[in-house]
Amino acid sequence: MQEKSIKVKVFRFDPSQEKEPNYQTYQVPFEKGMSAMSALDYIYQNIDSTIAYYDHAGCDLGICARCTGVINGKPGLFCQTILEGDATLEPLPKSRVIKDLVAKKGEERN
Amino acid sequence: MADQNMQTDVLIVGGGGAGFRAAIGAREAGAKALMLSKGPLARCGATPMAGADFTLDGRSLNKLGFPGAPEDTGEKFFNDIITQGYYLNNQMLVEQYIRKAPQRLKELLDWGIKVIFSEERAIFTSGLGLMDALLKQARTVGVDLLEDTMLLDLVAHDGKIAGGLGFDIRTGEFIPIQAKAVVMATGGWHKAFWPNTGMRDLSGEGIAMAHRAGAAIGNMEFITFCCNVILHPPVWRGSIATYITSLLCGGELTNSRGERFLDQYDPYVVEKGTTMEWNKGFISYATAKEVRQGKGSPHGGIFYGLGTIPLESFERNAAPIFPNWKYKAMDLAEMAETLKNGGTVEVGPAVEYFDGGIVVNEKFETSVPGLYAAGECTLGPFGSNRVCSAITEMLVHGADAGQNAGAYAKKIGAFAPPVEAFKSLEEKEQVPLQKKEGLRVAEVRRRVQVTAHKQLGPIRNEKELTELIGFLENVQKNELPNVATVSKSRIYNKEWIDAIELENVVHLLKAAALSALNRTESRGVHYREDYPVSDNDHWLQESRVKWDNAFLKVGQCPAIITSLTPPKGKMPFLEMMKTMMQSRSNIGGHH
Repeated sequence: MQEKSIKVKVFRFDPSQEKEPNYQTYQVPFEKGMSAMSALDYIYQNIDSTIAYYDHAGCDLGICARCTGVINGKPGLFCQTILEGDATLEPLPKSRVIKDLVAKKGEERN
Repeated sequence: MADQNMQTDVLIVGGGGAGFRAAIGAREAGAKALMLSKGPLARCGATPMAGADFTLDGRSLNKLGFPGAPEDTGEKFFNDIITQGYYLNNQMLVEQYIRKAPQRLKELLDWGIKVIFSEERAIFTSGLGLMDALLKQARTVGVDLLEDTMLLDLVAHDGKIAGGLGFDIRTGEFIPIQAKAVVMATGGWHKAFWPNTGMRDLSGEGIAMAHRAGAAIGNMEFITFCCNVILHPPVWRGSIATYITSLLCGGELTNSRGERFLDQYDPYVVEKGTTMEWNKGFISYATAKEVRQGKGSPHGGIFYGLGTIPLESFERNAAPIFPNWKYKAMDLAEMAETLKNGGTVEVGPAVEYFDGGIVVNEKFETSVPGLYAAGECTLGPFGSNRVCSAITEMLVHGADAGQNAGAYAKKIGAFAPPVEAFKSLEEKEQVPLQKKEGLRVAEVRRRVQVTAHKQLGPIRNEKELTELIGFLENVQKNELPNVATVSKSRIYNKEWIDAIELENVVHLLKAAALSALNRTESRGVHYREDYPVSDNDHWLQESRVKWDNAFLKVGQCPAIITSLTPPKGKMPFLEMMKTMMQSRSNIGGHH
């Protein structure tokens, strides 16, 4: 069985602590049918637990739309975008980042 | 960054259907209401993911303008819910469910939900549409709403509820909230298991904190595993799409040897157990049996395929729920192609609903003055096995709990905020954040989840339950106190939130494992392979777990019976299941 891994480049930025964002690249085992979300889960669970992505109430099934981001330059849901190879994951929009891949949504909270 | 302080009459914890309806109910009683939604407004918890079904008696459904079943009665429906629950149901809560369901459906229709289709005792609507209707109504009646906000613990004053410590997930700030009444509506605790079918916010903190505050919890061992949940590929893992197609369209289940393993069971049980919502209990049990005998699929389940179902009828029956093979935002076209070409999908049981929880009376009061509970987080009306709709449950509970909490809040006088209590809670919650070095939460949690799925699954025995309890006690004693976050930033600190949740998850798993070990019989969704008999002579008892300064003590008390006296005697598990299936009234439908 071939053990393939992909390079996942992730946008990192904590506006409360840093002046500028940077990118970190992680080596993630490849599994056919894996989503960007499962790649992030792998990174969080096994490599870097400081990574932030909307997960505390994420549905992982394309319903809540809070994992909206940019995958390889295209907007989409992390949980419904299947990764075929190396990927770059960025927040949407970059201008309203709370942390890493978590961004403020259009509607302000009540 | 200053922490915010808030004040309200009724604090509603949870932004699912029960939470929204309770908040609306509190406003209906003229009280101020503040609802905390752990995730995005109207898009978190289990409700948005539901199919969603709403059950009520067929005569009432007919009176609301649908075909329904005019020959149905409240008595027949009562009998059916009780026998589905193997007689363990709290009959007062069943009466409340039947009595209030029709008006809860009527108001949904007035609020504009779209009915996709209906049958004898149910309508089918969209979980998302339901949430949108509830959100709109909550805004209309003036509920204060906070999203991405959770409650960490309750505070009491003079033996009465005084509010709780809120937490802004985005900023990591604490929000002390003063309230005269609290309605707990936090749903289930799916996150204790891996895999599961729930949103990532469902970690049961409502049940855990109510327990710590002195409320009784019970029937924790009754956990409904949905059957035929997709296990692979990862992008769809946890989806109940195949559960729905198996129920509406049929299909064939095979094990790793290609055997149609359901053929070994009584054909009557198989028929009822595949075409009705009895399937969760029966097929999860049958699947677990194959897996434990070494005949499971690579990811711990079995295989679902079309079998002899004609393509045309499969597509026709699936179309109302899966237009163009889209289920919510999931594109299942590839899966549909696989099935149409004679292939199979790996499916299996995954935790889906919790039949036990916080003990409430028919007014939805807990044993703590000022603390109410509604929805899945309660020990609800379904006894040992839920077949009827939990959507109905959340709404009939929510409305009454909210109205009663509102009336209570308006009666009691104001009191000073318990500042010291809030301060000591804040200190406790910050431990993982402030600890310099320690264990990784994610690693501990995954081990807990996988062990729970194995040893507290559809099939249990004394050895595995005892091991699980020992494992959990070790996690509590040696691992949880040593957990530390790597990042010390409070901003959206996922690891910090996970650490807070994990403590509650382990608490509830231990309560469930102790209860499962204590119940030396099989009933509904609790099956003991070492006690494979349903015992109506000794076990028409609700389990109870008491919290005594972090020490859990298990006991039981008689099930609440009003008008339906259960028969005495003992029966082997599958025979009892068949007898319960046969006890159903002669009204059609999937429930």
